[in-house]
Amino acid sequence: MSAELPAFAPVTKEEAASIGTAPVPAGPYYKADYFDAEREAVFRRSWLHVGHVCELPEPGDFIVRELEVANASLLITRNRDGVLKAFHNACSHRGTQLVAEPCGRRQVFSCPYHMWTFNSDGELRNAPDFDQFYVDKAELNLKPVAVDACGGMLFINLNPDPAQGLREYLGPLAEQLETLPSAKATTFSEYVYEIDANWKLTYDNFQENYHLRFIHPKTGAATSGKDNPFGYPLRYGFHNPHRTQTIWSNPQPQIQPFQMLAFGKGMQFAMQDGLVGSEQSREYYAVFPNLFILGSPMQPFSHTVYPVSATKSRGVIRIYWVGEDDCASRRFAREYAMGLARDIHSEDRAVIEAGQRGLNSGALSHIHFQAQEVLCRHLFNMVDERVQAYRDEQQTGGAQ
Amino acid sequence: MSAANRLPAAFAELEPFVEQWCLATSNERTTARRNSTPEEREAFFNAGKVIAADALQVLDQKPLDQLDDQEQCLMSLLLSLAHVSLAVEIQGGDEARHALASQHMPITRSPSNPQ
Repeated sequence: MSAELPAFAPVTKEEAASIGTAPVPAGPYYKADYFDAEREAVFRRSWLHVGHVCELPEPGDFIVRELEVANASLLITRNRDGVLKAFHNACSHRGTQLVAEPCGRRQVFSCPYHMWTFNSDGELRNAPDFDQFYVDKAELNLKPVAVDACGGMLFINLNPDPAQGLREYLGPLAEQLETLPSAKATTFSEYVYEIDANWKLTYDNFQENYHLRFIHPKTGAATSGKDNPFGYPLRYGFHNPHRTQTIWSNPQPQIQPFQMLAFGKGMQFAMQDGLVGSEQSREYYAVFPNLFILGSPMQPFSHTVYPVSATKSRGVIRIYWVGEDDCASRRFAREYAMGLARDIHSEDRAVIEAGQRGLNSGALSHIHFQAQEVLCRHLFNMVDERVQAYRDEQQTGGAQ
Repeated sequence: MSAANRLPAAFAELEPFVEQWCLATSNERTTARRNSTPEEREAFFNAGKVIAADALQVLDQKPLDQLDDQEQCLMSLLLSLAHVSLAVEIQGGDEARHALASQHMPITRSPSNPQ
């Protein structure tokens, strides 16, 4: 029983320095003008996570998503041929929001105002007394938005003709996302939070482990150990603009007796479903700009931080399940896994808001990131590159 | 005192907990956890943890959609027990502080919620 456990070796300060060492300006974490530039430079030009394909499995299924950062409401459909389509949820007549329900199944969508009717391809099929207009019906289809899926995750791009397709945008991550439990999921649990904090400040909390032992003294016990008291990751990966970390887990975790019952059931089903043993099971993906995906077989989750304003955001966390609950033990294991993940996530919100309040005062001109906060630094670098390029474009009269 | 039994006879010792912990949705369960006293959580956890494995084994004999009312009530108690165990077994004395945080993270979807 004297199996030798390899000693934990953290990523070194020298290795992390390749992403930079200078302090990062604090303004981008609270100033409205920077947020306005992010809206254009990042959120109107990137592929954004908005859902999962299991939400619209059949032709005629649709979902509606509100995207505050762009003041947009989006209608995402699966058309008669089973192809995903996305549009601005705005009637092409006078802009009225077309669909009020968050999801459903329909072949046509009629505007409540003047009964203009569109099909699931966004084509205007019928408009009462149309002869009175001075325009061709074919010019009045719903305004399209690019949509695609990878590994079950549904993404949109507000640019209907994006510079990169989704797979190209995801780069080497695309293939890996397809191996995750979330790629096979047919349903999910979900919990949400509203937070008075900038989206990057919020997101950063979930991509550094420096805080774990202080903010998660109980729920984080399994993620730290004698030779890794901070629970730092084994590796960081940079796939611009995305990043990853390989999670270290305590080889001798302290598991409580009742917890063992729940984990035992969860592991049994994860093995039964073929979710155990993947190389990606310890990978934690930070997909630019605002999505995390965890490949863990027992608690595979996504966490998306949606910006609302410079100092307000909304988090949506989903834990993915393969197949419906088919027996009591599976239902119990899922309830426990979701409850535990939520307990951990919920512990961070108050301290993030406290950080925002401190930054809002302007007291700090800069933020110092340590080597093990390198993913936070990388996010800033990726955002700031885009913001600066956008500002240059604006000054030179616009490149597009 | 005792109306009709709401649980299968083999698990009658949990009857005193039905009123507080037999709940329809995940969010109701976590809300009940937050609104309960430490004594209520400990009493439920101590009674539930000893029968949980047996109860799951019994319920696993049938597909979920064929459980009768008493079995469904037992299932619901076990799901509440999952939440309460996190308070008693993991958070312990930190639960009061933890509850202040968790109220801001409602559960909006769960496969155990009624369709």
